[in-house]
Amino acid sequence: MPVYEKTNLNLALRVNVALGVVFFCFFIIGLRLWYLQIVKGDYFREKSESNRIRIVYVRPPRGLIYDRDGVVLAKNRPAFNIELVPEDCPDPKQIIKRVAQITGQPAEKLMAQVREHRKRHAFEAKIVLKDVSRDVVAKIAARRYELPGIIITVTPARDYVYGDLAAHVLGYIREITNEQLQRREYARYRMRDLVGQYGIERVWEKFLQGSRGAQAVIVNATGSTIGEAWFEPDKPGRNITLTLDVDVQRAADEALKDQAGAIVAMDPNSGEILALSSSPRFDPNSFTKELSAAEWAALQGGKEKRMHNRAVQGTYPPGSVFKIIMAVAGLSEGVISKNEIVNCPGYLNVGNRLFRCHKKEGHGAVNLFLALVQSCDVYFYTLGNRLGVDRIHDYAVRFGLGTPSGLELLQDNVTGLIPSTAWKKARFSDPENQKWYPGETPSVAIGQGAVTVTPMEITKAVSALINGGFLMKPYLVRKIESSDGTLIDDDFQPQIMGKVGVAPEVLSLVREALVGVVNDPRGTGKRAKLSPDLDVTVAGKTGTAQVIGAVHGITSKEFKDHAWFVGYAPAEKPEIVVTALVENGGHGGAVAAPLVKKVMEAFFYKRLKVESISTNGSN
Amino acid sequence: MVQIDRRLFSHFDFLLLALSLLLPILGLIVLYSAGHDAGYAKTFTWPPITIHSQAFLRQAVFIFLGLGCLLAGVVISPSFISRMSYWIYAFCLLLLICVELYGMVAKGSQRWLSMGGFHIQPAEPMKLALVFVLAKCLSRNPPSRGGYRLREAALPLLLIIMPVALIVAQPDLGTSVAVLAIGLSMVLFMGIRLKTLLMLCLPVLIGVYPAWHLLHPYQKKRIQVLLNPEIEPLGSGYQIQQSKIAVGSGKLLGKGFMRGTQSQLEFLPEHTTDFVFSVLAEEWGFMGSILVLVLYLVLLYRMAVLVLRSKDLFAALTIVGVASLIFAHTIINVGMVVGLLPVVGLPLPLFSYGGSSVVSCMFAIGVVLGFDMRRLLFIGKG
Repeated sequence: MPVYEKTNLNLALRVNVALGVVFFCFFIIGLRLWYLQIVKGDYFREKSESNRIRIVYVRPPRGLIYDRDGVVLAKNRPAFNIELVPEDCPDPKQIIKRVAQITGQPAEKLMAQVREHRKRHAFEAKIVLKDVSRDVVAKIAARRYELPGIIITVTPARDYVYGDLAAHVLGYIREITNEQLQRREYARYRMRDLVGQYGIERVWEKFLQGSRGAQAVIVNATGSTIGEAWFEPDKPGRNITLTLDVDVQRAADEALKDQAGAIVAMDPNSGEILALSSSPRFDPNSFTKELSAAEWAALQGGKEKRMHNRAVQGTYPPGSVFKIIMAVAGLSEGVISKNEIVNCPGYLNVGNRLFRCHKKEGHGAVNLFLALVQSCDVYFYTLGNRLGVDRIHDYAVRFGLGTPSGLELLQDNVTGLIPSTAWKKARFSDPENQKWYPGETPSVAIGQGAVTVTPMEITKAVSALINGGFLMKPYLVRKIESSDGTLIDDDFQPQIMGKVGVAPEVLSLVREALVGVVNDPRGTGKRAKLSPDLDVTVAGKTGTAQVIGAVHGITSKEFKDHAWFVGYAPAEKPEIVVTALVENGGHGGAVAAPLVKKVMEAFFYKRLKVESISTNGSN
Repeated sequence: MVQIDRRLFSHFDFLLLALSLLLPILGLIVLYSAGHDAGYAKTFTWPPITIHSQAFLRQAVFIFLGLGCLLAGVVISPSFISRMSYWIYAFCLLLLICVELYGMVAKGSQRWLSMGGFHIQPAEPMKLALVFVLAKCLSRNPPSRGGYRLREAALPLLLIIMPVALIVAQPDLGTSVAVLAIGLSMVLFMGIRLKTLLMLCLPVLIGVYPAWHLLHPYQKKRIQVLLNPEIEPLGSGYQIQQSKIAVGSGKLLGKGFMRGTQSQLEFLPEHTTDFVFSVLAEEWGFMGSILVLVLYLVLLYRMAVLVLRSKDLFAALTIVGVASLIFAHTIINVGMVVGLLPVVGLPLPLFSYGGSSVVSCMFAIGVVLGFDMRRLLFIGKG
């Protein structure tokens, strides 16, 4: 095969033409360089020396966050930093030691801070101490002349007015990470920008951030500012009004104290979240200071998992709370009637396994009402066997369990798990394990076994039970407005995610029983009753969920039962649903019900106060 | 795949090798200054020095990697490249499509593909793949007398347009212009009829108006800013203005190593990557920048000599392609730095900071050296 066909191609001519083009282009560039560097050289040299304009970006103030009544939850305040300009400092070590003495901080810590590498240009200051108190500022300022190279700068910092109140909802802000800078959503951000990293601060970052302004400053030959050339104003972030009620939220946070757990309070008719509390909490203000690696690790990890939002991320077996769904499923499917009596001797044999009721001696003859009021396990084992796991799954999913709650608060939506035959088949590979055994259904029927839910999901499910069967999308933001109040977006309407598709008679039968749980002398949830002066009837359901290890007789703290209570009030025309969960808290009726009571009392006492003020006013 | 023989090195072109090492080394000197960072320090025990520039160190590593790639380019047999050219091209095209679908976003556009910790920019290998595939395609179908007719040019043009379209979509205006320039210069090198050329230009001219509307706002702005830099003193206009001040203030002899205020005080954006030539011009003056330009010119001239002494068309076209790759990048980059062309974001080959660019350029030069070295072998190719 002839590989070389020079005959009809004049390669030399082509190469010469190409070289001609190349030389021509380089000639043009050379000419241009001649023009810029030789002809106009003096002009540009003078420009580079005298007229130095550097662009400095001006951070916009971040939007504020309010509670539903306009109480400020997050605002901005000036933070004072102590910084060091190494070029102005003859002996940085000595100066830092002196700063350490004045501020009472360990000198090594400050040195480490200063040594930490960060790209900077000449005369750019390094941070020695972030966010110091006014006292310290005064002390440093007074000794300015002994401290060459030390300057005090002011930067905006976030101020979460009530400390750790609603920390998991509000979230926190922190300097943008390198990884975030790579992403398209942060295309407009620059290094050292403060961005929302968690909670509302993160989800609504776009609105809260605002857009930065720019200032062209004139600097001298050493790079320090000597004037301003022009200024482009910044646009402050938007203010956000939440659905949270600060008083209800505080009651929830205080009720939980330091116990690990969560409380969710929601308006069942709209899906507005009135309180969302997770414990243990963190103080979002701590992120404005420089966090040491150890402090950071303590916040992130550890057994306490402070950053974990247990209300939406925590999945727990629901225990007897799940019996609400069971009762609805049983009645709707017609496998049990309102009046059918089941005898509870304290246990039930299914196949060759013995399932015990929580009451050893048994409840005796129980109908649906009594079974719910006393939380009889044998009744629901029986009901579960009649329904089968797939029908249970169907009703649980209809009520939104095991599906994303729709609350826009976290990046990854955690959901609980409702087992079914299909789930088991997909979950396990080994054919023996893929089969669903009838002996597994009774555990599911009392909210144990593989069943898990989040407190948010339970709140949403119970809301559907009492609002006529609507799955309301839970939401946290009521209104967004520009900082001067001219642009307002308050178009946050309740959204229906779905309908449970259950006859209203069934829902009201179950509700009747839930009233009994709190108000019947035999009920398990009596401690949720509100103070009599409020004259509000509470209904609800207790849950005491076994932790897997406890089944094997381990009794240490971490295997203690999870305590649940979900309640709503007023029972006739509900305005608030509250779910409380206490991890390893013990009995739901004893531990979780009083927490719900506290939250509800905060809600109703506040309303009473508002009402009395408005009636007095109208008279 | 690999074909190497000691005797082949008697025909090795050491001048081209020397040039392609000299340029990156000069680049390193400029980069040390451009990437100088008082806060960064890396101390070596041997030689006992402290380096205050991370860009310098990383680029040094890239150049070593590039040298390895250059050697790899030398040993790969031309017939292997010829045989695989369509596959390589198809593979790169696939990568570009992957970028479109799963790419990583940096600075607002999708250009990177992440693979097990490595971030690669498929547009870089695409440039070379296009050179290979066009060399193969054009050498198989040389034009009839008077240049290519439209029908003959259809396949090569399709080969050019596909990657260009994908890169424009990323959006990466600079690279797509470079790829287009590489492809077109290879086709033009073979010759095309004036009539065909006009027929091809016509739809382009008609397409200008709708294309303007398809451009990303930042691209539109860059073109507008080029025509009138004052309309955006904050963005591209600022870049061009600062770059011109940097270049011009260098005057005849420059401000001296590490004395360039424009880059040291960070008036000049992107001064280690796309605007590294401004730092050169500022610190080394007209003399320094002309010296570097002359080195590029000698490099291209040497490649022309290699084309003339090559004995088969595939090799000749490959060298033409690599030369046009280096030429297009150099002219577009320097043109942009001196304010003659829009700011499109292309590195200066062998000079700018950046692994992808250095490695692929040195590999391409290795391939050229390998082809040239084997010019007197008569082995079935293509």
